[in-house]
Amino acid sequence: MNTFVQNLIDGLGNGSTYALLAVGVSMLFGVMHLVNFAHGELLTVSAYVIYGLRSKDVSWWITVPMAILGAVALSVAIEFTAFRRVRTASAFTLLLTSFALEILSHAVWRIGVSSKPRRYATPEIAFKTFDLGPYRVEVWDVISIVVAVLCFVGTAIMLRKTLFGLSIRAASEDFDAARLMGVKANRVISGAFAFAGLLAGIAGALYLLRRGQADPRMGAEPLLKAVIAAIIGGLGSLKGAVVGGLALGVAEVYFRSFLPNDLQGLTDAFVFVLIAALFVVRPQGLFNVQTAERV
Amino acid sequence: MISDRRRVALGSLGGNLVLVALVVVGGVVYAAFGSSARDALITDLLINLVIVIGFQIFIGNTGVLSFGHLGIASLAAYVMALLAIPAARKSVLIPNAPWGIPDIEVDPLLATVIGIGVAVVVSALLAAVVARTSGLSATMITLAFLFVVRQVAENWKDLTNGAGNLSSVPRLDGNGWAIVGAVLAVFVAVSFRASKVGRLAVATREDELAAGAMGIDVFSPRFIAFVVSGAVVAVGGILRVQSLGSLGPSQFSFDFTILILAMLVVGGMRTVSGAIVGTAFITIGKEITRFLGDGPHFLGFEWPVVDGLPDLFLAGSLLVVLLLRPSGLLGEYDVGTFVAAQLSRSGRRSSGPAASAIASAIAPDHSDAVLRTNCLGVTFGGFTAVDSVTMSVEPGRIHGLIGPNGAGKTTLINVLTGVVEPTYGTVEIGGRELTGPPHSRARQGISRTFQNLRVFGALSVRENVAVADLVARQHRVDRAGPGVDALLELSGLTAMADRPASTLDYGNQRRLEIARAAALRPDFLLLDEPTSGMSEAESREMVDHVRRIATAVGAGVLVIDHDLGFITSICEHITVLDQGAVLAEGTPDEVQSDPRVIEAYLGTQGA
Repeated sequence: MNTFVQNLIDGLGNGSTYALLAVGVSMLFGVMHLVNFAHGELLTVSAYVIYGLRSKDVSWWITVPMAILGAVALSVAIEFTAFRRVRTASAFTLLLTSFALEILSHAVWRIGVSSKPRRYATPEIAFKTFDLGPYRVEVWDVISIVVAVLCFVGTAIMLRKTLFGLSIRAASEDFDAARLMGVKANRVISGAFAFAGLLAGIAGALYLLRRGQADPRMGAEPLLKAVIAAIIGGLGSLKGAVVGGLALGVAEVYFRSFLPNDLQGLTDAFVFVLIAALFVVRPQGLFNVQTAERV
Repeated sequence: MISDRRRVALGSLGGNLVLVALVVVGGVVYAAFGSSARDALITDLLINLVIVIGFQIFIGNTGVLSFGHLGIASLAAYVMALLAIPAARKSVLIPNAPWGIPDIEVDPLLATVIGIGVAVVVSALLAAVVARTSGLSATMITLAFLFVVRQVAENWKDLTNGAGNLSSVPRLDGNGWAIVGAVLAVFVAVSFRASKVGRLAVATREDELAAGAMGIDVFSPRFIAFVVSGAVVAVGGILRVQSLGSLGPSQFSFDFTILILAMLVVGGMRTVSGAIVGTAFITIGKEITRFLGDGPHFLGFEWPVVDGLPDLFLAGSLLVVLLLRPSGLLGEYDVGTFVAAQLSRSGRRSSGPAASAIASAIAPDHSDAVLRTNCLGVTFGGFTAVDSVTMSVEPGRIHGLIGPNGAGKTTLINVLTGVVEPTYGTVEIGGRELTGPPHSRARQGISRTFQNLRVFGALSVRENVAVADLVARQHRVDRAGPGVDALLELSGLTAMADRPASTLDYGNQRRLEIARAAALRPDFLLLDEPTSGMSEAESREMVDHVRRIATAVGAGVLVIDHDLGFITSICEHITVLDQGAVLAEGTPDEVQSDPRVIEAYLGTQGA
């Protein structure tokens, strides 16, 4: 029981990072049918901002907002320079464009900084623990969960109450109809990229304060997990992305503690088989998202 | 006399082999002025060429993005290596391998053949899943496959030695085998594109929905393309391992896949020439950037060492092409087209079919099947789109279906053609119930055009019609048809037969769609708003055109429109739909004088 609860908190802590990223991935899929594999590069830019500012001894109180800002700026820049031009292109072109951007980002960091990791000291709070009854809980896990929940609630309110949220929902339902109703395509899409960037920046801050280093290819792995989470939840469904992200985080921790050693390496393989099966059996994910082509 | 198609195929084969030869000669010259590392570069280039062309066979012809082919290559290479590595080495490298593998030692050539065989089987299994899906799903499944293969290879250490690699794979020396592989790959790719399956695959790439409506089952061309392409990529993978002499899990990685895809996309995935040009372009660019990044002494400067320059070039060129020229440097261009044009200039045949050939092709007996709907209904959620419609379309007759916007006309056509499942009721043709997906209905005698044009844009005008004719020859054998040339002549398209369909103007694309639908030798031709967007004069011309085509194929016609004038001038019988239900029925005169119709069209005040 003891480890069960501890694992759960641990898993939810990791999972909230995935979920924050997954919500962004899912939102972008909703508005432009793009699975954005370049989304993970927003973590990378945040990491280098943290490294850069911390190596000049800038306070964490300034560093963290700057890191989030960096992610938002990059997200909007990517949309403006690349995705805007291929907005109406096939899934094929969109997907390859996002991969090209990912590799471009890796190369730029390698050339601009170094292919070797750059380390920065993590703040004390990142690894503090406290005892809650019989459980030893990491403070950062609790902060992660609280921040993520606030973000999800904020996102839900934004989608329901604001005009921007309404246009995002309308665009996800039927982009052409939304445009006929006066939704400006470029504005809603760059807005979605900015919002997804904000969530990615926050996810980045939660993840990076414990990670302690920046390296060119670091964005790929968390993003892959976020994509998996978004797929499990059903691409385009934000609720699904949250559930998918948290479930993945928890599942990972349990796999790690219960699977025998020689099967550990295969956990990812299991997940991939599961994903492939999901695409065959239930391409709309666990949560239903309807899309239909008009003939 | 050789046919046009064969001329193009031969031209393409010859032209592309010349292209490969040029690349090889360029490489040899470059290698002659440098170290032995440059020899390895040519081998690498040729083997990459095999793999890129292998990818082109599937991706280029079907338009479905696959990340999984190097997973297939990896499996094939492992099978080959595990069989061919000398037993003495295996007992050191992988003493605990299952199935007595440490004791087996197979001749490398036989091991290669077995490896390719395994690749074919694995490709078929994977294709059985992938070919059922399209777009994003197919891509994600193949991506998952690539990762799974790698993870298993990394973790099944007893069998693969994990990251420790399998060394002592019997090596092939020199470039001979790589050249053979490249020539073979070009041959397979050109033959595939020219084959029947290849043309059907391209049709599904151009428009999946229209391909289904023409009786093409999307599954089988995709399946075959995937397996052929898997085998060619496996050949490339095995050659690569044999030229290196060792094999590890990271060799057929995601990064390598991106390299191959970049070569294909940058050059132009739609043609074999594109694959060759792209491979050469990326290889040369990477070689130059690698040179620049190594801190050369060059132009009197001591250049700094820059790590990652080749990757920057790779991602940059891929991105630039995707954003500015998504069809790649060559687009639709294949050297074969050029060579074929040269060939045909020397041996030009008489032009077009003789008028008598057309005359004799026209007017086969029309079929005597009746198309009938029995109390057909469709509801979407709570909305009733089609409400208990019972109607009959007589053979050889032109029947109009008319009604205001939202009356359910297009939904009714979608039900007849199998795009939408009815909520209740049945459709019959000649007394047999009509069921199944769109392609099987097309084979049972229903063909259609679309409200929003759906021609196969990248195919030539002739190929558009020929693809439907191909299906008819296989599935409509009991019906006679006028043939491709006669249909083109009847549609006034002969002069532009060799142009890509996408370059035609609106009216000609409409006529092409009708010609294509007619080539299927249907019992019934369903025309969804054939005059939408046309001027009055063009509409009048369309009346004659539809009559001519319908007589030529002996098909009954069901034509939808909301233009009352057009419908009454062409149809012998009219059904009026309103809010999903049949409002009136009869001859044009009867329908026009029906007060309910007048009300629905003009409102009560106007009546």
